[in-house]
Amino acid sequence: MPSIKYTYFDGRGLGEVNRVMLAAGGMKYEDVRLHESKWAGMKSATPMGELPLLEVDGTTICQSNSIARYIAREAGLAGKTSIDQAKVDMIMEGARSLFDKAAQIFILPEAEKAVRKKKLEEKEAPELLEYLNKLASGKGYFVGDQLTAADVALYVNYESVGSLTIALPSLDKYPNLKKVAENVKANPGIAKWLKERPVTTY
Amino acid sequence: MAPKYKLTYFDVRARAEPTRLLFAAAGVEYEDVRVQRQDWEALKPTTPMGQLPLLEVDGVTLCQSMSIARFVARETGMDGMTRLERAQADAFVDELEELVPKLAGLLVFTTDETEKEEKAKALDKMIAEKLGRCEKLSGSEGHLVGNSLLWCDLVFYNIAYNIEELYKAGTLQSYPKLAKVYDTVKANPRIAKWVAERPAGQFNI
Repeated sequence: MPSIKYTYFDGRGLGEVNRVMLAAGGMKYEDVRLHESKWAGMKSATPMGELPLLEVDGTTICQSNSIARYIAREAGLAGKTSIDQAKVDMIMEGARSLFDKAAQIFILPEAEKAVRKKKLEEKEAPELLEYLNKLASGKGYFVGDQLTAADVALYVNYESVGSLTIALPSLDKYPNLKKVAENVKANPGIAKWLKERPVTTY
Repeated sequence: MAPKYKLTYFDVRARAEPTRLLFAAAGVEYEDVRVQRQDWEALKPTTPMGQLPLLEVDGVTLCQSMSIARFVARETGMDGMTRLERAQADAFVDELEELVPKLAGLLVFTTDETEKEEKAKALDKMIAEKLGRCEKLSGSEGHLVGNSLLWCDLVFYNIAYNIEELYKAGTLQSYPKLAKVYDTVKANPRIAKWVAERPAGQFNI
């Protein structure tokens, strides 16, 4: 049984997809939450000066998306065939792009922030969610007919963008995505994690 | 018999080129479709996520340039030798990818001189940070990860090519291990042939 240690800040942000997948896979891990004050001292010792990190049996992996893909493979959420894995990958990227757009808005000066927020809420997000809705099945799965990292990524990124006070359209408008969210929440490991995880603003 | 793979992108290197380099390195045939700007609006709503590139294979249409590249790397045995190596190769790609739109933004899409200067300053800082990090982690024998040509080497080569050839020649001199990776890819006969013969493209990026 490999020893797994996941290090991120004490929040969800771009680190939460990984925690949710570890939960779905029933994988035990040390959930290290770093206070911002401790980060400066640690930064230069990390592979690329960023969090999150995944330490597995002495090897440290960085880059949230690379960690996500690795955990997905280990947890059986990556997709059964090579093509399925590529489909899972592409959905994860699409879902993550929603979060990245929202996060970028936050460092902008106020006037620009308001304009970009409006653009995201009224144009970019509805367009992307429409595309993603078409890519998900009526049963609520992006690939095949069981839970993959693609479904988890949609749910967690949608939730995280909402936490950044971006007013996304309700999933009621996207019936397939609504089903995806329900399937994610219904996974026993995930349901347990969602109930027990530390509550953070974002 | 038609090739198994059909790659569709604009008539540039940019985000599709790592996949083209992979096909070249592996000696795998594919259809290299280049969409003209005026034909894009009509094509867009028919795509999975309203973007290019696309890869069509076995009746499936894949999108997202790095998902496509990773898939082709897996198909051609260039994604990594072990499970952890694959994650390490992924990490290099994730780190370097941000440079792609920044390079294109400055070199192709900015004409105002003041804006160019500002963008160049920001880009120099990003290049120094990212190449510095990659230099620290890179292997010393001409490969970023492990001992063989992997897709991360090709992703790096594509970006470094634009930096060296179009932006600031000599940048890699400050990063000897990365310079070795660059030279190793450049010297690969199949890559060299593709680079010599590939279309110039609508923009040089």
